[in-house]
Amino acid sequence: MSHFLLMLVYALLVSAFFALLWRRERRERVKLFLQIFVSMVVGGIVVAWLMYPFPSGPPVPFPQ
Amino acid sequence: MSEPRPAAQAAEAHDEEAHPIANPQLAAVLAWVVPGAGHIYLGRRSRGIAYLLLVAASLFIGLGLHGRLWTPVPGEPLSVLATLGSMGMGAAYFVLRYAVGYSGDILATGFEYGSAFVLTAGLMNMLLVLDAWDIARGKKE
Repeated sequence: MSHFLLMLVYALLVSAFFALLWRRERRERVKLFLQIFVSMVVGGIVVAWLMYPFPSGPPVPFPQ
Repeated sequence: MSEPRPAAQAAEAHDEEAHPIANPQLAAVLAWVVPGAGHIYLGRRSRGIAYLLLVAASLFIGLGLHGRLWTPVPGEPLSVLATLGSMGMGAAYFVLRYAVGYSGDILATGFEYGSAFVLTAGLMNMLLVLDAWDIARGKKE
């Protein structure tokens, strides 16, 4: 799975969970779900974009 | 004109207004052992099943990616917190750790992502325990 797809799946699970936990009305749930989901995905992309200029560090040595 | 009540008195009055609908301890234990079971016990069947599916999905995706099942690491105090968070998933943690012997695979490509999913399953269920506790005490719908 790609990094982006995993991020989408993670955001989907977390936003569905909190929408179900924090809201009781169907309409309110959908609204909160979309707010959390979009915030997580857009936030993730923004943070990734901000981190882009930074070097990723030396490769992790493979254990023998 | 009446004076505003202090916060402690207001909280006490709120507690008095809440009417327990079930045994909060039992609801919390059930919610912890099996995700969603506390809500099912409290009559919130569809919500309980939805919670079970969400927590299970997070856990199984994490396991599929060979994510870490946290255990305390000497010299790393934060690992204790992560372990407690993971234990929030209830019986599944102990089955995976002691019966299956699962710990994760640090060399797997999805190890870091998987670890986040596994830990999230535990943390989500902790919130469900608190939610079941509040519902049982009559403080939440």
